[in-house]
Amino acid sequence: MVFRDQIEALSGQNLNLCFQCSKCSAGCPLAYEMDLKPAQVMHSIRLGRRDSVLNSRAIWLCVACETCTERCPQGVDPAAAMNAARLMALRAGLEPGVREVGVYYKGFVTNMRMNGKIHDASLVAINRLVSGRLFDELPLAWKLLLRGRIKPPPLPLRGARFRRMYRRALAREMDQPL
Amino acid sequence: MKYGYYPGCSLEGISLEYDMSMRALFESLEITIEDLQDWICCGTLAAPSLSHLLGLATPIWNLVRAREQGHEQLVTPCSACLYHFKNAAKQVEENHGLRMEVEAVLEGNLDDLPPAIHPLQLLSSEGFGERSRDHLSPQRDLSDLKVVCYYGCHISRPAEVMGFDDPENPQSMDQLVRSAGAQVLDWPYKVDCCGAHFSLIRPDIVVELCQKLFRGALDAGADAIIVACPMCHANLDTRQGAISERLEQELEMPVMYFSQLLGYALGLSPKRLGLQKHIVDPLPLMLEKCGAGKGQGVVP
Repeated sequence: MVFRDQIEALSGQNLNLCFQCSKCSAGCPLAYEMDLKPAQVMHSIRLGRRDSVLNSRAIWLCVACETCTERCPQGVDPAAAMNAARLMALRAGLEPGVREVGVYYKGFVTNMRMNGKIHDASLVAINRLVSGRLFDELPLAWKLLLRGRIKPPPLPLRGARFRRMYRRALAREMDQPL
Repeated sequence: MKYGYYPGCSLEGISLEYDMSMRALFESLEITIEDLQDWICCGTLAAPSLSHLLGLATPIWNLVRAREQGHEQLVTPCSACLYHFKNAAKQVEENHGLRMEVEAVLEGNLDDLPPAIHPLQLLSSEGFGERSRDHLSPQRDLSDLKVVCYYGCHISRPAEVMGFDDPENPQSMDQLVRSAGAQVLDWPYKVDCCGAHFSLIRPDIVVELCQKLFRGALDAGADAIIVACPMCHANLDTRQGAISERLEQELEMPVMYFSQLLGYALGLSPKRLGLQKHIVDPLPLMLEKCGAGKGQGVVP
């Protein structure tokens, strides 16, 4: 499968509908931080520029606000294509274009595996440890603690069923060609 | 209608005041909700970014639990959870191959999954205006309070998935807040993005996106911003220090959940609504603008 077909299969989108009006780029709240703007990501995928897309910062900066998807006159979902590109980048073993985002997403799913749910305080604390920014938000953390908004993890942890599902999902996926 | 209730992880942790006010509001309106048992995180953007199948199976797990427990609709106050529920449900409905994969992962069928809905949709359809009319507290006159309603990303966008309200100019929250007696101002930033989880990764991005919202709210002449999503609230409430520096203007604008404002108008105690839990305390504003002894700081 060529690169465009892979993205289309993963995202369920027909990217050939895109006629490069660039409305997605115009409305994207994160475009100012992106190396490739959303319309350029769409076009690069169609041109088969795999390395440029999979190594881009853009695909990791997308927060799936869906403004592009809502406004696309051709009914394409660029946010889904960005998500497909993130999956392919990780499958290819590439370092995420915005490292902190990759670290956060992995930490998030690791946290889910403990209890099936997220425990927000430990998610943030571990993320800060890993990224070496432990002291960035301490004044805010203190204010939240005083207001009773930071809670200890719920015990006992009940993540076993979620972990079984997690393993099944990943095993099935590894069997599929990409 | 039998409503299940999915609080989601935020409402059990940092955004517990959204949960408190939501439950108090439902109780006072005599709308019965039942907690979903055995729920898990919706996976947000993290699970689908790491695994396509996990990203679909995780939200759908909860819809399957809701069906098993006999809920006809799943009330989901977090609009990010809501989006992932509705998006995953739509994907497996439209793609038979994908549906079979997710059924294999979940070891069960995906027939007749109940829809997830936002409490704004529930209150609009249950006729909050009529239900509350006789219950509005005369001691809580909100008519001097000027607010803007901030919907953020996923309450109505993308329309094809969410199927509720207008994706570019939603009105549901405006109408509810208006029927509670407050003045709702028009402004152009209703559906702009707050930066969501980038608050934890790249706070500079959240400051950049939220400063536009505050500028818009100030230009409109608002006393407060009303929200309907825990992430919007966290970003707007906790980042005002950095945003003040960016705007070169001291900012202290209360940000409240719609459920807190409606509950306040119905006479519920500020403590029950969790109003004291915000970083920017909304109580001084509420006492000044809406108390029985307006301007005298008397607790009604």
